[in-house]
Amino acid sequence: MSWLTDPVGEFTDLTRAEQGVTLFVVAFAAFLFIGLLSGGLGPSYFLFLVGLASMYALLSLGLNSQWGFTGLINFSVAAFFGIGAYGTVLLSASSSPVREALLDAGVPGVLLNPVVGLVVAIVVAGLIAVAIGIPTLRLRADYLAIASLGLAEVIRLIVLNQQDWTNGSAGVRGIPSFFVGWPVLSDFPSAMPEVVVDLVPGGSVTLSPPLIDWGLTFGQDIVLGTPFWRALLNVSLVLVFLGASYGVLRRVHRSPWGRVLRTIRADEDLARALGKDTYSFKMQSFVLGSLVMALAGVFYAHLNLYVSPGDLDPITTFYVWVAVILGGSGSNRGALFGGFVVVAIREGTRFFSDLGSIIFDVGSTEVVISLGIEGGPMRLLLIGVIIVVLMRFRPEGLLPPQRELIWPGTVDEVPEGPDVGVRDARGGTDE
Amino acid sequence: MPLLEYLANGLIFSSIIVLGSIGLSLVYSIADFANFAHGDTMTIGAYTALLTFGAIGSLGGAVLGLPFGFFVALLAGIAVAALVAVVTERVVYKPMDVGSIGMLITSIGIAFIYRAILQLRFGADFTRYDVQTLRPIEWLIPYGIRITEHDVAIVLSAAILVTGLHLLLQYTDLGRKMRAMADNPELARVSGIRTDRVKLWTWVIGAGLAGAGGVFLGLYNQLSPRMGFSLLLLIFAAVILGGIGSVYGAMLGGFLIGMINQLMPILTDYGIPIGIEYANAVAFVIMVAVLLVRPNGIMGEAT
Repeated sequence: MSWLTDPVGEFTDLTRAEQGVTLFVVAFAAFLFIGLLSGGLGPSYFLFLVGLASMYALLSLGLNSQWGFTGLINFSVAAFFGIGAYGTVLLSASSSPVREALLDAGVPGVLLNPVVGLVVAIVVAGLIAVAIGIPTLRLRADYLAIASLGLAEVIRLIVLNQQDWTNGSAGVRGIPSFFVGWPVLSDFPSAMPEVVVDLVPGGSVTLSPPLIDWGLTFGQDIVLGTPFWRALLNVSLVLVFLGASYGVLRRVHRSPWGRVLRTIRADEDLARALGKDTYSFKMQSFVLGSLVMALAGVFYAHLNLYVSPGDLDPITTFYVWVAVILGGSGSNRGALFGGFVVVAIREGTRFFSDLGSIIFDVGSTEVVISLGIEGGPMRLLLIGVIIVVLMRFRPEGLLPPQRELIWPGTVDEVPEGPDVGVRDARGGTDE
Repeated sequence: MPLLEYLANGLIFSSIIVLGSIGLSLVYSIADFANFAHGDTMTIGAYTALLTFGAIGSLGGAVLGLPFGFFVALLAGIAVAALVAVVTERVVYKPMDVGSIGMLITSIGIAFIYRAILQLRFGADFTRYDVQTLRPIEWLIPYGIRITEHDVAIVLSAAILVTGLHLLLQYTDLGRKMRAMADNPELARVSGIRTDRVKLWTWVIGAGLAGAGGVFLGLYNQLSPRMGFSLLLLIFAAVILGGIGSVYGAMLGGFLIGMINQLMPILTDYGIPIGIEYANAVAFVIMVAVLLVRPNGIMGEAT
């Protein structure tokens, strides 16, 4: 825990990009914290955002294990996300045609719960990943991109048009909480007492800087009711998913198996010359990543409580791609960071379009910044600009993989050379 | 006799796909990356024509139910689509050094930027050109074919453009250089061809044809900022079917994909339960199947 004992030393040991990202994260967290305290950001909505961001982080982890480690250009992220979401929902939601058919066929309703749905979704996603992988993984990299995008569209069209299975464009509602039927957690949100957080006893404090007629009021009572506890439960669930996936992926990528994947990415012919069955390795990596994406879909269904074919739109795929490229291909912590930034973009642009216009009252003159723009195109523009600027100026991403690809023991044995930067000597990027 | 009607519709739709796929194939072979912004280049052409036509009006007479002003707007659409593509190439693609995969990802960003700007200006809703909606041509109705003069105009204009491209490729200096470059860029360069200039012309021709395709797509259906991106995968399917890098392959692939797309109702007529809503899905499955069996496409060279 050297961050606790010597934060300054640790900070100066980081690369400049890492320092920038750290400062950004700290500033953003502080901004959100102020929002929470001043009551501008409801605690339940804040937790919803954390859940959404963790979900994107999960999707990015999945894609990162395909693209970042093995070099597979998978443009069917949205399809696996959708398979995960629909997989659990069709079994457990009250308005699902599949559930009704199963109940009519005599399957006991107890079995049709979200946990079974999770297992079914994961199995189906794995099977479809194999089915998509068989024709596409032998292809050249750019053909794989086009073919996977095409097959993802096929899946979206099936979900949209097979109304007798999926309710079609109307989507599926009546989705239960993930923990329905669990001993304690099922009733946890409604059983918890309503907690009132009163930071400043008996009133509130307004901080207003001199000169500017603008102030922040702190200390209104924050009420933590049932929605808050439900959101807290959701966030804990996704954090468990995220932690488990992160741990598993980190472990396997450091294993000999992971080294083969990185060799394939760097030079597939080399891997083949070393006697590796690259097709089989690519398939394993593809399936593994797809399972993680399906897991994100399962969580999304129980977070949003509504699933529709619109969730399988290709734009979801490209959001995740932005997260991975922004974070740094091949870097798991980069993928986590990217996931959070993408949600900031998604929800931030929505916030701006709701805002309409901001009026600054600076002394006697009034500055009006009109933001009366629709959120949709702005979001698209921002995503596009980020992709282009990143690819043009920093194709390796903000947090390119550094030490995380090698065992810590190996790193420590590298002597610190006087001429070479420590980080370079310690196995900097080889990409 | 619905078959004739399906074939006629297929011919019209494939004219549009062919215009899109030629450009995509040209850029794929000469700039060496899959340009995901190609569909949105078509959208740019369509909206430029909308603006131009709205500004200049009909300009008197009309051919095939289309006022002269519309043909001026068509030229404007072609010119602006080409200009935007060339500027993008100079500003974004040319200074980049990220390999063909990096370029592919960049082009997705470019596609989003084009679409977002159009959406900011025109909104996300569907619009139409301000031309009169026509009744189907009378003397064809007894044969079961219901097409308008506009559809004839689309097919004829596409045929003229494609013939023009064929003449350009076969009988002009530029065409020979382009073919040489598509074949082997290094060899073309050593032989003294100014590859940069040829590349520029490739972008102009490819994006110009895409712009024309976009204008016709707007006339055939409606205009919306998503129109090009929605068509992009079909165009990719056509290019892959025909063989990447082969212009004539792209023409054939575009024709086949357009036909298959419009012939889908036959399946239900013969009792195969795959509805027209799966027309695109069938095209994508064919694309993947072609990639598996013959990755170089119908007209591509075997490697």
